Amino acid sequence: MDKKILYLVGILGFAIGCWGLADFLSAGDAHTNYGSFVVWGLWVSLYFLFGGIATGCFIWASLDLIFHVPSFSGTGRPALLAALVTLVAGLAAIALDLGHMDRFWKTIFQANMSSGVAMDVWGYTVFGLVTVAALIVSATEPKNPTLQAIMWIGLIVSVVVSGLPGKLMGNNAARLFWHSSLMPLQYLLQSLMAGGAMLLVLRGIFLRDLPGEYQPGLLGKITSLLVLINLFASYVFLTQSLSGNMPEIAQPAQQIVFGHFSTSFWGLQIVLGSIVPLFILFIVRGSAGSFLLGLAGLLILLGNAVARYLVLVAGQQVDPLEGLSSSFSGKGLTLTYSPSMTEWAVACGLLGLVILGLRAGFDRFLPLAHSPKE
Amino acid sequence: MANEVQPMEKGSPSPPVSGGATIKTPEPPAKEDVLLRMNKELGRALKKNEAQRKWVMVIDLRRCIGCHACTVACIAVNKLPPGIVYRPVTIQEKGKYPNVTMNFLPRPCMQCENPPCTQACPVHATYTNAEGIVVMDYDQCIGCRACIAACPYGARTYDFGGTYTEGTTNEETVVLGESRADDYERNINIEYGRKRVRTNKHSSPIGNVRKCHFCLDRIHNGVLPACTTTCIGRATYFGDADDSTSLVSELLAKPNVGQLKAEFGTKPRVYYIL
Repeated sequence: MDKKILYLVGILGFAIGCWGLADFLSAGDAHTNYGSFVVWGLWVSLYFLFGGIATGCFIWASLDLIFHVPSFSGTGRPALLAALVTLVAGLAAIALDLGHMDRFWKTIFQANMSSGVAMDVWGYTVFGLVTVAALIVSATEPKNPTLQAIMWIGLIVSVVVSGLPGKLMGNNAARLFWHSSLMPLQYLLQSLMAGGAMLLVLRGIFLRDLPGEYQPGLLGKITSLLVLINLFASYVFLTQSLSGNMPEIAQPAQQIVFGHFSTSFWGLQIVLGSIVPLFILFIVRGSAGSFLLGLAGLLILLGNAVARYLVLVAGQQVDPLEGLSSSFSGKGLTLTYSPSMTEWAVACGLLGLVILGLRAGFDRFLPLAHSPKE
Repeated sequence: MANEVQPMEKGSPSPPVSGGATIKTPEPPAKEDVLLRMNKELGRALKKNEAQRKWVMVIDLRRCIGCHACTVACIAVNKLPPGIVYRPVTIQEKGKYPNVTMNFLPRPCMQCENPPCTQACPVHATYTNAEGIVVMDYDQCIGCRACIAACPYGARTYDFGGTYTEGTTNEETVVLGESRADDYERNINIEYGRKRVRTNKHSSPIGNVRKCHFCLDRIHNGVLPACTTTCIGRATYFGDADDSTSLVSELLAKPNVGQLKAEFGTKPRVYYIL
């Protein structure tokens, strides 16, 4: 895709985000729709999404920078840059979600390590540092032992950190819908899929002239397989929740599959986010640089964003006690949630930030001349 | 027992009967109000070391009439803004006409001995204090709301920074305009022994998670929690369960005492008489 169009889209998204940010900073939480029942909404699901893409990209980068798989030659450094950019967007999303973002540093220096949130923060901090180190080292000497060591550390950290948001939710016994040992594994699988999809986006939209022996056909096949595995994981998770018929567990699953989330679930997650990209990847196969590859990647990311959002939000739309949500009224004391204009605007800004970060990163800071094959 | 009969010291004369003679009959024994008893016990408990107190709340569901006086008192005493509620009372309608009944369940913070919320907090902003009460450190809380998600009782709410008078007219001719009407709401509030004003949209406790703390400041000053003193049905009891002679200790020994979601293993310090 034309660089100018990408810059334009990125700037537009970022400008909308600036308005959202200004509104949020002036009005505080008053213009957000998350509350005391649905405490985590759009921004937290974006944090999970971007964090998942970041760790997934790092894992995919290891195919080039650790294992030197010829089909992925030259993809390592772009994938690392994508990991860094999406990580920054994810951390920005979660920082904005905090009631006191000025106290963010406390999660590092005064952390309670029994908390899933603290584990996430520490995990992503270590992951970010390793990613920056890998980018720097790979820019100077692409094939040195230091890079190998950093990449190995990063690979292990990425796998662990991929599952941490799932652990945060799965550990929560108060939200029975989330309280499943499948959650961390699901998040790892989603990260792998999102990383593959991001590489497709890079290849099909950002880096159509990527040098090297890079064969997008193999990437497409593996990503397709991961889409199928994730579909199966969603099937297992949702049917398991439905089959017990315990209200606290079954109700969110019913809302997703048959209730008010069903349009998003079937339309966006299943059809547009899984079946359509699978079809595209099947027909496009190895035609490198095709915009359709990028489109398939984008659709997979869209489906993944919806999947993360639905499980996160639906799991909170259950009354902790019968009649509690109707016992008192006031801002945030409701089980319904849909993101506010401010939340959407900030989300647009984060997407714009990612587009600009990737485009500018590839243009200015990551000349492809340093790709391993050259 | 809550309403145990206390013997009176003096008898009162009964009206004269025919013949001028008076017969002295003992006055029916008066019941000591449970509030007076609990207040005395509170004073006794405060003389003990903090760690030796075990504050518990016992709520007699048979006596609760669903008047919400406790909810309102809590909001008034703690000057809670919109969206913050420490002690709602849930209402459940049961049965089919003509056999219909209403069940009321006041739900303060359970002050769990094994609280999931404190483990979920990433910065130790919520913890169990020496007296066994789960408290908040507003200056430490980052507002991530993980503790709300972790609480199985929905006992925590998030302070969005609103006021009840928000959006009302500013016309000075109409009683009070918003700019003056919210003075009361923004004025000093004391929780956890610290005075705070709500003038800035980003200053704590705005942007923090808030919860019931058994009116810690009141009990430290020898005053029972607001919900306890305002309960018109005397359905809420508060005291030191470590004092074997206290009212709450007596109540806890009854067979019809239960806890909410006991299966979670959180060991609540709030008990319900069924």
